[in-house]
Amino acid sequence: MFVNFFRSGLSRRRFLSSAATLSGIGVLGATLPRKVFAQDQVVRVGFLAPLTGPVAAWGKPGLDGCMIWAEWINEAGGIDIGGEKHRVEFIPYDDEYDPAKARAGATKLIREDGVKFIMMLGGDPWPGVQPVAERTGMLFSTLLPSDLSPDTTTLIAPAEVHPIYNVTGVEWLAETRPDLKTAVICAQDDALGLPSVATYLAAFEAAGIEMLEAPILFDPATTDFAPVVTRMLARNPQIVCLDTCYADYVHPICEQLFQQGYEGQILSCTADFYEQIIEKTSKEFMEGFVFQFPDFDDPELNADFINFQEPNRFYEEYAQRFPGQWGAVSWEYASIMDLWKAAVEKAGSAEPDAVLAAMTEGGTAPHAFGEARWWGRDLFGIDNALVGNWPVIAIEDGKARIKAFRSIPDWYDKHGELLKKHMAAYNQLWDQRS
Amino acid sequence: MRSGLALLAWIGVGVALIALPHGLSFSQQEILVFLTINVLLVASYRMLTLTGEWSLGHVVIMGVGAYASALYSKHFGVFVPAAMLLGAMTAALIAMGLSYPLFRMKGFYFLIGSFAAGEIIRLLWKRFREPFGGVKGITGIPPVPDVNLGIWDFVFFDPISYYYFVLAVVSFCLWLMWRIERSPVGLTFHAVHWQDKLAEAAGVNARAYRTLAFVIASGFAGLAGALQAHYIGAVNPTSFDIEQMVFVLTWAIVGGTATFYGPILGCIVLTVLNEIVLRGLGFEQTRPLIYGLLLILSVLFLPKGLESLVGRVLPRRATSRTRAIIGAEEKA
Amino acid sequence: MIDLIAQTGLNALYAAAYLSLVAVGLVLIFGVMGIVNFAHGELFMLGAYVVVALYAGGQVPYLAVVAIGLAFVGVVGLLMEWTMFRPLRDNPLGGLVASIGFLMILQALVSMGFGVRMAHVPPFTQDVIAFSDRVRLPVQRLIVIGAAVVLLGALWLFLKRTRFGWALRASAQDREAAALQGISINQTARIAMFIGAALAGVAGALTAPLISVNPHMGHSVIVAAFIVIIVGGVGSLEGAVIAAVAYAFIHTIVTTFWDGVIADIVGLSLMLLVLIVKPTGLFGTADRA
Repeated sequence: MFVNFFRSGLSRRRFLSSAATLSGIGVLGATLPRKVFAQDQVVRVGFLAPLTGPVAAWGKPGLDGCMIWAEWINEAGGIDIGGEKHRVEFIPYDDEYDPAKARAGATKLIREDGVKFIMMLGGDPWPGVQPVAERTGMLFSTLLPSDLSPDTTTLIAPAEVHPIYNVTGVEWLAETRPDLKTAVICAQDDALGLPSVATYLAAFEAAGIEMLEAPILFDPATTDFAPVVTRMLARNPQIVCLDTCYADYVHPICEQLFQQGYEGQILSCTADFYEQIIEKTSKEFMEGFVFQFPDFDDPELNADFINFQEPNRFYEEYAQRFPGQWGAVSWEYASIMDLWKAAVEKAGSAEPDAVLAAMTEGGTAPHAFGEARWWGRDLFGIDNALVGNWPVIAIEDGKARIKAFRSIPDWYDKHGELLKKHMAAYNQLWDQRS
Repeated sequence: MRSGLALLAWIGVGVALIALPHGLSFSQQEILVFLTINVLLVASYRMLTLTGEWSLGHVVIMGVGAYASALYSKHFGVFVPAAMLLGAMTAALIAMGLSYPLFRMKGFYFLIGSFAAGEIIRLLWKRFREPFGGVKGITGIPPVPDVNLGIWDFVFFDPISYYYFVLAVVSFCLWLMWRIERSPVGLTFHAVHWQDKLAEAAGVNARAYRTLAFVIASGFAGLAGALQAHYIGAVNPTSFDIEQMVFVLTWAIVGGTATFYGPILGCIVLTVLNEIVLRGLGFEQTRPLIYGLLLILSVLFLPKGLESLVGRVLPRRATSRTRAIIGAEEKA
Repeated sequence: MIDLIAQTGLNALYAAAYLSLVAVGLVLIFGVMGIVNFAHGELFMLGAYVVVALYAGGQVPYLAVVAIGLAFVGVVGLLMEWTMFRPLRDNPLGGLVASIGFLMILQALVSMGFGVRMAHVPPFTQDVIAFSDRVRLPVQRLIVIGAAVVLLGALWLFLKRTRFGWALRASAQDREAAALQGISINQTARIAMFIGAALAGVAGALTAPLISVNPHMGHSVIVAAFIVIIVGGVGSLEGAVIAAVAYAFIHTIVTTFWDGVIADIVGLSLMLLVLIVKPTGLFGTADRA
């Protein structure tokens, strides 16, 4: 029976259901603590991300957020699929940020646990999962749209379209502080840093801000940032741009900027735990720091067009359960689940192809920050990235405040060619990758 | 008579290994593929340690094979199995180049020197986006072309098919390594390890033999890398970093390196524990803690490695090896 | 330009300070016990987390916390010696694997206790000594530099002037001969392990307010420390300090004037070069390899 199993004879849907049945029979050695009989009441979602090791900070907090999300949804009766209520259950698999382990994990989640949807961090592990996704038609989500390609129609990037939204911060800054004309940028040399550099370069060029020198790249293992900061300040910039530095870099860089006497504008993609940066520097130093990720207790998030369920309460609950762990990924996976739940209820089915069709119907979908459109053909070769408005956040009096929501598509309509040019220079277009 | 029994035992092993994947769950079949590749890796690592030097660059050498094979097949359209062989040779050649500086050192210096050499190679992969793809590495590596042999339709996306392919390749390589170790050259490797000065006095060029062991081991490691690259379809610098090397090192030492099967046993037992048992018991997030504890306990209470257990149970060497492998496979 | 060079010099001095503390501890452990302590970076991490646990709360004064960090990590070192390295004395590879296991345990425990994300350490002082507008030495960094000088100086006196120090140096040169002289191997191993671990711990505690504290921070430190002790020669404490200073200056300068990735490649290549020219490091002897 294994012969030709993967050949075209089986339709995708039949493949998935037969896989679920097989796992139900209990193939020798399969460790399945949960009974398959409960399947008519439970819908399972896979969480395939690094939970241990150096990249765990990008997976574990997201799983924690999803647990809160699942509790709330289940308390409220679960997900309505074709008139029947289903409990949501998350099945985690630690891929250790490794493509081989991710491949085994995807296989387990799909064929043994019978999940209907798999959320991933993306990045290095994705190429290992890609053939599995293509053969099974399973719906996957990633936080890194650079994984998207026309080869995989069932991979979506519905939460953040990193790093394209960074253009909103630059645009807003250029309008609010037209006096700032020169910038330097530093970034870690990795899969997040480089496309972000290209995006900032495009955004600065569009805004008429001059780069004083080529972006300064540092190794991801760097701990002492004094030399990098010394180098940047030597050019006397008006804006220091921290690119998509992780919190582990943003903090010591800000501390060094402060200690080495910098007083200008700072621009960054993230500022996780910014209250700690303030403690390490000063309120005055951090005043006006511009970045892209809001605190979810921000009153602006109670606006009607926001699609995230009860952001303020979610933030509180999270902060209470996992003190000091809130960051961008804490809410992103949960916001993907909101989108998925809406599509499942709309489709009346949790099957991947039906959900994907319901999700992308009409070319738009409810993103956490408002209605957004499926987009990305120019950069990723496929319209599977959900873009719309993105907030620009500035620190005011020691607290992050949403200053504006800006439209990414509007910026792109005006300056798309610039973005493509810089992305191409850093080999980041989909047909340049590999 | 004895050879007849041995033959029978080997046939038994072969049947068991062929039947094995059909008794496993789907994800376990995937793990089995990687496990078989790692068996080749760790066995080649032992060949390197025969001469007494421990390297921390072996996984990077495996990566050299993976990158080379990926590039040959993707950019130059080389037929995949041929690209794998070329990848293995490339790894051996790079190792030959590295051996000139590295074998000026010994012991601890060699250990760290090999680590540094490996890190330089890894940094070069990261630094040069053309042709190595930078930090994202190379994706879209062509798979082994499917073949239909009549009895079995090999679709190499399917883990069972690929497992059979890998099993055949790895078995052949293990047999080769076994032959090499038993040949006069292999015996000289041992001599170089235990009686460095004496061997030199007897006219043996210790450094030449060390280099030879290093180059042969690297060729097999490169082949392991190529086997992995064409299955996953992607390589990146992180897959070959020191953390992976640490795993290989612990497999070898926990298994024991006095026998041919020791490191293989270590690789199988530790992989099954880490990937199947601990995950199965629901320790998804505390695996490193338990794994670390097991490492310490095993070197404390089994200082001669898992192989010493086998030796205690079955004193006869030839059969003990085969049964050890069967036993461990059955556990898997 | 003068400013830039001066500031780069100050940056390098700080890097040299904490790197020497870590490297000297690693050399001491290797020299006396013959064990490559892979968990040394995690001892550094543990020192930083002592500060997270005690100082971030705010009740205990910073310098007291640093002292506690030194003692606590030193005791962890004793624990390692007692449970792992002593039983594995004649099995250096076993010791290596045990230290890898210990490293995994420390990382996992800290991840479980403090979370996988970076931990917060408030600054001890924000004072800066400004030589000019662009040449500034934060007092926190000065403290690290000062502490390194004092601690390494004290260690030097201890090794040269006391009986324990003499025993330690003797064991580092030749363990069997030292044992024949009536030196207790167990005792010297304990002292070496305590001092080595404590130095890593104090380095972690001192730098905690200046760097990102997370469960995996040990990795980058140990790589640099390995390079340093190889260049210096594994038996030599003076060599480790000199190599740490040289490495820190070269790395900082290349990072400032080219970039960080090239600095790593240059560092590793220089190390290989040293080994090719003098395979036992600049100050090492062949016997200790």
